[in-house]
Amino acid sequence: MSVPAPEGVTMSSPVTRRSVLAGGAAAALGGTGLLAGCTTGAAPPPGRSDRKPGEKITLTFWNWVPGMSAAVDLWNKQNPDVQVHLDNIVPGGSGGYAKMHAAVRTQSAPDLAQIEYHILPSFMLDGGLLDLTDYGVEKYRHLFVPWQWRQGVFDRRVRSIPQASGPMGMFYRADLFAKWGIPVPKTWAQYRDAAAKVRKADPKAYIMAFPPANSAYQTGLAWQAGAHWFRAADGGWRVDMVDPATKRMSDYWDEMLHEKLVLAEQDQQSGWFAQLQRGQIVSWVGPQWGDAILMGNAAGTAGKWKVALMPQWDEDQPAASNWGGSSTAVMANTKYPQEAIRFAVWLNTNLDSVNLLIKGGYGWPALAGAYGRTILNQPNKFFAGQRYNEVFATADKQIDDSWLWSPTTSSTLDSLNATIAAEVNSGGKLIDAFRASQRQTVDDLRSKGLKATGAGGES
Amino acid sequence: MSTGKRRISPGVGFFIPFGAFFLLFFVLPILYALYQSLFRTERSGLYGELGTHQVFAGLGNYAKVFAEGAFVDSVLRVLGYAVVQVPVMIVLATILALLLDAASARGVRFFRSAYFLPYGVPGVIASILWGFLYTPGISPLVSIGTDLGLNPDFLGPNTVLWSIANIVTWQFAGYNMLVIVAQLKALPGDLLEAARIDGANAWQQVWRIKLPLIRPAIVLTTVFTIIGSLQLFSEPLVLKPLTANIDAAYTPNMAAYNDAFNNNNYNYAAAEAVLLALIACVLSFGFLRLVGRRRRG
Repeated sequence: MSVPAPEGVTMSSPVTRRSVLAGGAAAALGGTGLLAGCTTGAAPPPGRSDRKPGEKITLTFWNWVPGMSAAVDLWNKQNPDVQVHLDNIVPGGSGGYAKMHAAVRTQSAPDLAQIEYHILPSFMLDGGLLDLTDYGVEKYRHLFVPWQWRQGVFDRRVRSIPQASGPMGMFYRADLFAKWGIPVPKTWAQYRDAAAKVRKADPKAYIMAFPPANSAYQTGLAWQAGAHWFRAADGGWRVDMVDPATKRMSDYWDEMLHEKLVLAEQDQQSGWFAQLQRGQIVSWVGPQWGDAILMGNAAGTAGKWKVALMPQWDEDQPAASNWGGSSTAVMANTKYPQEAIRFAVWLNTNLDSVNLLIKGGYGWPALAGAYGRTILNQPNKFFAGQRYNEVFATADKQIDDSWLWSPTTSSTLDSLNATIAAEVNSGGKLIDAFRASQRQTVDDLRSKGLKATGAGGES
Repeated sequence: MSTGKRRISPGVGFFIPFGAFFLLFFVLPILYALYQSLFRTERSGLYGELGTHQVFAGLGNYAKVFAEGAFVDSVLRVLGYAVVQVPVMIVLATILALLLDAASARGVRFFRSAYFLPYGVPGVIASILWGFLYTPGISPLVSIGTDLGLNPDFLGPNTVLWSIANIVTWQFAGYNMLVIVAQLKALPGDLLEAARIDGANAWQQVWRIKLPLIRPAIVLTTVFTIIGSLQLFSEPLVLKPLTANIDAAYTPNMAAYNDAFNNNNYNYAAAEAVLLALIACVLSFGFLRLVGRRRRG
């Protein structure tokens, strides 16, 4: 829990690493001449900016968070000289990242962009992220939730400012649980019993839909169980998706599926929404940002939901998990790093800004202690007047902060979507899906020209 | 006799706008894809921070495409799909065209527009629309089917491909019909008149005169449909969030798209795209040769 893996990934001396890294960044940018006048030697001097004192500049920001424009408007009102132009792009996975990767390639990237934590390493491969450590961002570290800050640290260098995450909890229909006499499950074993009782109480109802092709979900479950799929070892990647933690988790869901205690169905799509509305899906072990999804798509069930911590493997060692999360990345080709960093930090720490973003539904703030300082601590009618975010504030502290993403995560998740769906369809074992996707991940990493090995005798 | 120079220059003038764009947006991208498919990236360090460079891979990317199997599976999937989809589409389009062309047909204009209308609905919209009709809990089709005891599962592992085929047929049968109708309209009237005078009934006219004469239109629509089947993309992409049974490499185009834009591996995606183009060429020209030979024979 306390191993800061993203920072400790290589063992070479900091001096060497620093100069090599800076040299790589300068080489990547050298072609445009953007840095030519500003850099001397390997490391760009802290304080570099092309902005002259008093000059009016505009930063471009690519983002897709719904509430972002309100926060950017606020900044623009308060900072007439450093204006931010917000470009609402399609969400990363739907094409936004393709656009960003292409822009990085052609040196036409924006100054700032929203990039999810699990995608950041792929932009490291492109040299798309500015090394912010050179600009003294360490002084902001204490403002943020530690594990979220670490998601943007690679090789001990800070590469992006954290924005929001998705600590996981359990949304459940408090009214139906009470009506059917089902105690709120605290452990996965109790969750299994509850699932059986739901089936008995209403043959059309399930405790949950297990999405066979939404592998971000199963990744969250493995993360909670204590898995570490991606690690750094011997200057390369060590992929282990068949470790005891993943095995334990997948055996559990094998049983749930084989005994038809959960419904194998995609979540967050129209059929699932219809079942939520009818009380045929009565819980969701999901992310904090799922609150907006439930409120928006099952408004008729308002006042019937509550939130509890996600079921535990071991009650004595409570562990939560995380699903989703984004950073505000400063792109390598920005002309105004100082101003871009100032905006990114303001956006994610200024209480007015954070409150606007919470209203827009951007997820769980990366701002440290956000629960007590923002509108998160208000009771909510949809959740029967519960201060439900208190649960997520607890969950946020129980997340294993040593989880590391690989540079080919999106492809691993795609592969898992296919392999898990295949096992669910054939009634097979989920661990075989993880084994197959591990093999695929090792191939993917190698095809990116990186060193990689797989665990469990897989080469 | 005018000089050769004088006769050629207007032709060249007309060709230049087409030729320039053809070169710029068709030939060059293909050559670039070919070029890209021959390289791969090598990196050192965990994130390439210790060095990144492009190296010549020869046919390495192609070998990998075959070795990994996902692309091959997707090609086999669309080939299986084409074997069913192409005949269904062509037979349906031809029947609709012949019905509209029949002497006894009523309301020809209305039906022609009605059959053609789905083509006016953009493919993505059509897929969203059908997606709703396939989703349990929302779809009237599913609930009617369930009431009848059929329990239809349009999005299941063995059915979703045919649900996609249904969308494509709904969309393009009318278009293909129109191509065939156009040729039917162009048939010389005296031929059919002569047949009628000789006592040929409607069936005989269809079998012995119309069908042989609209052969070029049928060949054309068949080639369109073969290529369309191989290039299947937007329909499965739109249905993907609704079902676990469509993966990121479900069709060859989806695989190439995903490798290029989600996995950011342009070299590998280029190899897939080149292979797909080759397969489409082989099948299309293979079909044309097949029908050409039969005609001569």
